[in-house]
Amino acid sequence: MVLAFDRVDGRGLVKVYGATRALSGVDVSFSAGQVTCIEGPNGSGKSTLLSLLGLLARPTRGQILFGTHDAARTKGLRASVGVLAHASMVYPDLTAHESLALAAKLYGLRDASARIAELVERFGLGAWAGRPARTYSRGQLQRLSLARALVHEPKLLLLDEPSTGLDAGSVERLIGAVRTERARGAIIVLVTHDPALAEKLADQRIELAQGRLAPASGTPDRLATASVPRSGSAAPGGAS
Amino acid sequence: MTLLSAAWLVLRKDLQIELRTGEVVVTTALFATLVAVLTSLSFYVDDQSARLVAPGVLWIAVAFAGVLAMSRSWSRERENDAFRALLLAPIPRAAIYIGKTLGTLTFLAIVECALVLEVAVLFNLDLRGIAGALAGLLALGTVGFAATGNLFAAMGVRTGARDLVLAVALFPVIAPALLCGVVATRELIGGAPMHEIWAWVRILAAFDVAFVTAGMFLFEPLVCD
Repeated sequence: MVLAFDRVDGRGLVKVYGATRALSGVDVSFSAGQVTCIEGPNGSGKSTLLSLLGLLARPTRGQILFGTHDAARTKGLRASVGVLAHASMVYPDLTAHESLALAAKLYGLRDASARIAELVERFGLGAWAGRPARTYSRGQLQRLSLARALVHEPKLLLLDEPSTGLDAGSVERLIGAVRTERARGAIIVLVTHDPALAEKLADQRIELAQGRLAPASGTPDRLATASVPRSGSAAPGGAS
Repeated sequence: MTLLSAAWLVLRKDLQIELRTGEVVVTTALFATLVAVLTSLSFYVDDQSARLVAPGVLWIAVAFAGVLAMSRSWSRERENDAFRALLLAPIPRAAIYIGKTLGTLTFLAIVECALVLEVAVLFNLDLRGIAGALAGLLALGTVGFAATGNLFAAMGVRTGARDLVLAVALFPVIAPALLCGVVATRELIGGAPMHEIWAWVRILAAFDVAFVTAGMFLFEPLVCD
């Protein structure tokens, strides 16, 4: 069962790994149909925040709410989360078709074949979808990875340095796909070191420094009003 | 999705990859064969000594080949950070552990079939009368070994130590079960009555229950956070 929500909030998020304090009381808020860009230097807590939002780790203190659902107490929220990272998260010895079929089954999709065909078409995977992923270029891998992340139409889409190592054409396809997901009403959180990508996609920008929101990022209330204008409308067809 | 149906998806994925590459079974079987051949050349003196040495050879080959199989199986999860996609999926995380453990059991079962035949030939043993009992002993020992090994191997995916965790930390934990396996197999090949072997079988079964249960409960806390 997929739970409904139109915002994700993190309240007082603290994450401690041994002697390292990765996050120190971070308050964040993400809304449907918005791209929030998280920036900051290495070690500032960006990836930790994404791990918490992706339900891969639990906060040491604080609370994550998917709408009214407390992430610590609600089962089934993982079905609403999609993650695209620098690493493709696909098995090198499976083909694109097999990777998407595996993802569709793991997410319990009923009409998996139709959804896979749609994604293969949308992301232009057809020509090489029958080859093992080990033979793909970086751009092809990223397209497959994006298709895998979207196979279950996630409500919350987390993007962790998705443009690393991509050429200009692949980055444009990525931007198109993100805009399509934003238009669909997804909540999108983007971690990037690429200012140009952030400039093109961000509706809201947050900066982390040493596990805290940088002063310019402010509180959730200020964040809601600190949006930058969108630099273009949603591209029909996404990454095609 | 139920625990077992999710575990089946993970197992099927491992089998699908293995059928395509043959990597785990082929390398593991070759390694186990090498162990059997080298030890037979070194330790075989006569049929009487062979009955004492062969059980040790068998279990050493299984243990080392098992470490190799699990190491390779989990290194596939590390490639492209594919394991993260499993952790993100809305399935019980214990299903990942069960699926990976069943995959290891399948690979090792194939290797053990070949290994038993090789050991029988190299050490001139007639195993026809005890084949079923020997298969049962190996199955019991392999379940505990794979259950524990996959837990340690999974820990290695999230740490820098990786293969070191598997090689160094696994054997002290699994040693009692391996000892039981070796002694029970020696008694079986030596012609001991079944009631004497049952004591070892019960200990092995108890280890299996403990290892599998611990693995299912510890897997998620160990691989997350």
